[in-house]
Amino acid sequence: MSAVEFEELELTADDGVRLALRHVIGGSAEGPVALLLHGHGVSSDMFATEETRNLAEVLRDNGIDTYALDWRGSCRLPYNERGPRFTYDHVAAFDIPAAVRTVRERTGGRPLYVIAHCIGALALGASLTAGLVPGLAGVVAHGVFLTPRMSATARMRLGVGAELLRRAGPIPTDFRAVGLFSRRTPLFAALTVGAGRCPDPTCRIVHNAWGAGGELFLHDNLHPATHRRLADLAGPIPTWTLPHLRRAELAHTMVRFDDRDARFAALPASAVESADRIDCPVMLLAGSENRFWYDSNALCADVLAHRASSLDVRYREIPGYGHLDAFLGRGAAIDVFGHILEFLEET
Amino acid sequence: MTEPEMTVDELLALADGTRPEPADPSGSPRVVGMDPAGIEAALIRAAGRMAARPVGSDTDLFDAGLTSAQAVELVAELEHELGSELDLGAVFADPRPSAIARAVGSPGESAGDELALVRADLRRADELPFVGPPRTDEPRCLLLTGATGFVGVHVLAELLRRSDAHVVCLARAADDAAALARIATAAKEYGVPWNTEVRRRVTAVAGDLAAPRLGLDDVRWQALAAEVDGVVSVGAEVDFVRGYRSLGGANVAGPLSLAELASVGPVPLHHVSSLGAFNQIGIEAMDEDGPLARVDRLGSGYDRSKWASDVALQRARDHGLVVTLLRPGGIGGNRSTGAHNAHDLSSAITAALTRYRTIPAFRCLNTAPVDWVARLTAAAVLDPGSWGGNYHLVGEPVTLDDLVRGLTLAGMAPTVQPWDEWRSGILERIDGVAELAFLATMLRSPSACALAQASLSVPAAGTARARELAVRHGIEPAPGFDVSAQLRTLTAMDRTGLARLPGRDSTPHVAFDETLTGAVDSRPCTIALTLSAAGMHQLLTERRLDVRGTVECDLLPGGALTVSGDLVIRPDGGVPVDAAELRHPLMEYRLAGTDGTGTDWTVVAHKTARLGRDIASQTRTATVELTSAAEAYSGTVSFAPRDYLRDGVDGLRIDPALSARERRQAKAVWFAWFGGQVGRGLLQPALRAFAELWDLRGARDDGGSRQWQRGLR
Repeated sequence: MSAVEFEELELTADDGVRLALRHVIGGSAEGPVALLLHGHGVSSDMFATEETRNLAEVLRDNGIDTYALDWRGSCRLPYNERGPRFTYDHVAAFDIPAAVRTVRERTGGRPLYVIAHCIGALALGASLTAGLVPGLAGVVAHGVFLTPRMSATARMRLGVGAELLRRAGPIPTDFRAVGLFSRRTPLFAALTVGAGRCPDPTCRIVHNAWGAGGELFLHDNLHPATHRRLADLAGPIPTWTLPHLRRAELAHTMVRFDDRDARFAALPASAVESADRIDCPVMLLAGSENRFWYDSNALCADVLAHRASSLDVRYREIPGYGHLDAFLGRGAAIDVFGHILEFLEET
Repeated sequence: MTEPEMTVDELLALADGTRPEPADPSGSPRVVGMDPAGIEAALIRAAGRMAARPVGSDTDLFDAGLTSAQAVELVAELEHELGSELDLGAVFADPRPSAIARAVGSPGESAGDELALVRADLRRADELPFVGPPRTDEPRCLLLTGATGFVGVHVLAELLRRSDAHVVCLARAADDAAALARIATAAKEYGVPWNTEVRRRVTAVAGDLAAPRLGLDDVRWQALAAEVDGVVSVGAEVDFVRGYRSLGGANVAGPLSLAELASVGPVPLHHVSSLGAFNQIGIEAMDEDGPLARVDRLGSGYDRSKWASDVALQRARDHGLVVTLLRPGGIGGNRSTGAHNAHDLSSAITAALTRYRTIPAFRCLNTAPVDWVARLTAAAVLDPGSWGGNYHLVGEPVTLDDLVRGLTLAGMAPTVQPWDEWRSGILERIDGVAELAFLATMLRSPSACALAQASLSVPAAGTARARELAVRHGIEPAPGFDVSAQLRTLTAMDRTGLARLPGRDSTPHVAFDETLTGAVDSRPCTIALTLSAAGMHQLLTERRLDVRGTVECDLLPGGALTVSGDLVIRPDGGVPVDAAELRHPLMEYRLAGTDGTGTDWTVVAHKTARLGRDIASQTRTATVELTSAAEAYSGTVSFAPRDYLRDGVDGLRIDPALSARERRQAKAVWFAWFGGQVGRGLLQPALRAFAELWDLRGARDDGGSRQWQRGLR
C-alpha cells in the first residue's frame, strides 16, 4: 500500500477562473470513476492525508479511478484571500459542471460518482437540481445536501457576525501568520470564543468553524499528526460568501443568491422544490455527533421521502463522528469509507 | 444419534419405572424414591435433544451448547415431574448431569467445593514463568479474545480506529473461516462497522479459551506468541446463573493461558476484569488499588470467577508480567447506535422498568456506556504509559434521584421499591412474557439475585486512575446511566419488543382538546380532536402529538368520521413549501379513518407560517383536504382564541399518576416547549425578510474592505 500520488491537471471554470483537478495515480483504467469535492476553506488534500488511511487511497485500492477537484473555495488556490469574490452560485454553475465535463472527457462512458463534503455537497445539490450535471451514477453528500440547518447559536453568529466582519477581509486560520501582537490577533481571539479545550489556536479557530460556533470536528477523532497539520489543511475563509450561506441556512433549503445574473438563471430558487430533477441515487452521510450541520442530512432524507418520493435516497449515520473528522479522522477508513464503497458497489 | 421426541416424564418413567412422590408439604426438595442414576440418564437424554453437541454424564451442559434459558426449561420440566421445587443455584453450580442428579438427590452438598476449585486455579498462576519487562512501542499486532461478544466487538472497533495495529481475534469455532463469520455476525448485531477496510486488518483464529493453550496446536501457539505484541483479554462467559465450576474454564483458565502466551514475548496483557470482584454486600470501598472482596462472601459463581482471574493475574505481575486490569461495572448501551446486550441483567431491569414502572432501590449505579468502556480500554492498550495499572471503567455514579428525575421527564415516572418487593412484583407480572423469560430465570436464581442485590448495595467505585487516563487522552468523562444518553438504547429495545416506551395506548403525559370549524367545499365542517403526547421524549425527538377525534361534514356519505393520526409541529423541520414566497410549514395534521360505508378517508390539514401581520390567525387557521379513493374536497377550518384558552390552557390534562408538584412542572414544561416551537416557526419568514434587508448593504462592494485590510496590516 503506497501513499497517494496525484497527476495534476489544468482546469478552467466556465467563467474563466483557473482551478485545479487532480487525478489519483494507480487507479483502475476500466473501473468506475469518482470525483471528490472538498468543503470550503479546506482542499483536495482532505482526501489524501498521509498519516491516516485516506479516501483517495481506499478508492484506488478498490479499483476506482479517482479525481479530486480544487474548486474556487480551496485553500490551495488564492481566491479565498484575494478574490475575485464569489458566491456558491459560481461554484454550482461554473466549477462543478466544468470538472464533471472534463472528467467525463477523460474517462469516456464509465460510471461517474461524485463524493462531496459540506459546502461542496451544498453546491453540488444546486448543480444537480439545476440539471447542470445530468447522468451521474450516484452522489454521496456528507454533512449537508439540499437542506442546510445549523443551531440557533450558529445562525445568530452567522447573521450578526457576517455583518460585523463584512469589511474585515478573510478570516485567518493559521495563527503563526496572525502572530501574537498583530491587529488581527483580537479578531482571531474573538472568533475562537466557545471553541473546545485545545490550547492550539489554529485548532481552536477551525474547530469553532471560524467563529460560527458548534464543532467542525470531534477533536478526539483526529490523528495527532493531522492535528499538528491543521494550518496546512485549512486556509483562510472569505467573508463574502457568508451572506449566501446565511440566506440558504435561514431558508433551510439551498437557494440561488443572485436573481439578476442571467448566467445563474438555471440554478433553482429552492433546491428542495426542484429535487425531482436529481436523476441518480443519493447517499446522505452524517456523523451522529455533527455539531455544525447537526441533523441536516437526516432532515434532507425525510423531506425528500415526503416530497420527492421517487428518488433513490438513503441516509447513513456514522456513530461517534462529527463533521470534518468523517474524512480526516484516523479511523475514517473503518467507520466511513466502508459506507461509501458499499454505495458504489450497490448502485 | 437421534432420540425419538419424548417428554421428561416419559424419560423418567423409562429410566427407573417409578413415579416421583408428590412434594413434601414441608417444602424439602429431597426426592423420595428417586434414583440419582435414573435422573442422570433422563437428563442426558433430554439435554441431548436441546444441545448442539453430544452430552455425556460428565459434560458441562453449557459447554454442550445449552443456553441458560434452555437449561432453566430443562430444570422446570424436571421440577414438574418431580413435583417439587429445585434450588437452581445448587443445580447450576455444577451443570454436569451426574452432578445435577447428585444435587437433586441430596441438595446443599456441592456449594462448598467451589472454594477448593478457586484455590486450585490460583495455584496455576504460580506456575507462570518469570519474565522481564516488555518493549514499550505502540503495538502493531494484538491478540483479542471475546470479539464475538458485546463489549469485545466494540473494543475491536476502537482498536482498529485508534491505531494502525492488526488484530488477531480468537473465537470459538470449527475453523478460522467460521470464527471470522461469528465475528462478522456480532459486528452486524451490535452496529459495529464490518467492511473491506475492517477485514484487511482482522485475522480470526479458531480456538477455545477454556482449553489448554487456548485449544491451539504447538505450531499455532508458537506462531501467535512470536507475532503479537500485546494481548487483550475480553472474552468471558457472562452468565449469572451458572456456578464457578462451569464458568472457571473460560473466565479463569482462559486468562491464565493468555498470561502464559504473553510471557513468551514477553508482551503486556490487558485483562477486562469486573467490579464483580468487589461485589460483596457491606463492602466499604471499591478503590482501584484497594483490596477486592472476600471470595467466600461473593454470592455468584460469575463474581467468583472474575475475582479469581483478577487475583491470579495480580499474582502474574509478581512474575514480571505487565498486566493491566480494566474493571467495568454495569455496561449500558452504545450512546450513538443504541446497540445493547439484550440478555444482560441491566438491560433486563431497564426493560422491566419501562414496562412496569418500578425500580429496585439502590445506593448508586456503577455503570458506563459500552462505547466509553471500549474507548478507554483501547486507550489503555495503545498507550504504553498506562500499562500495568488497575482502572475502574465506570462513569459518574448515578443516584436514585438522578434516575427518577430523568425517567419522569421521559414520561416513565417510576416507583422505587425495596429489592424483595420489587423482585416478587416483577416475577408475578412477567410470568408468560416471552421477551423477559431470561429475567425470570435470573430472578429465580439465587446466584443471580445475590449478584444483583450486592451490586445495588455497593458504594461508588473509586475511579481516580481511569479519570486520569481519560483526561490524558482527551476523552470526555462518561455519564453513568442517564436517560437522555440512553434514549437510543431504549428506542432500540422498544423496537425489538424488549422494552415498552410510552406510546399511543398509554396514559398520556399531556393532553388537550381542539375543535376546528369552517367550510369544506362551502359545506360546514367540524373537526373535534384530542391531542396528546405520551411523554416529553416524544415531543423533543419527533415534535409529534398523537391525535384522535371526529370529522363531521355533510359531504361525508357515512356520517361523522372517526379519525386518528399525528400532529407534527414544524413538519419537515420548517423546510419551506415555497421558498421564494417565504412560506414555511407550521403544523401538519395527518389523520385517517374509515366512515360508516366502509370508505377509507385521509384528512390532511396544514397551518403555514408566512410574512404578514396576521400571525395569530396563522396559528389558528388550517387548510384541510378530505380525500378518499373516489372523492377529494378541500377547505379551511379554524378555532377561536377563547376556545384555545378554554381547551388548550384551562383544559390541559396532565397524567393523573403524577403528584401535584410534578403536574405543575409538566404543565410549565409543555407551555415553554409548545410556545417555543410555534414561536420559532412563526419567526422564520420574518428572520429571512430581515436578512434580505441586510443583503442590501451590497455583498459585492469591496472598496471599503481593501482600506480596512490595509489599515489592519
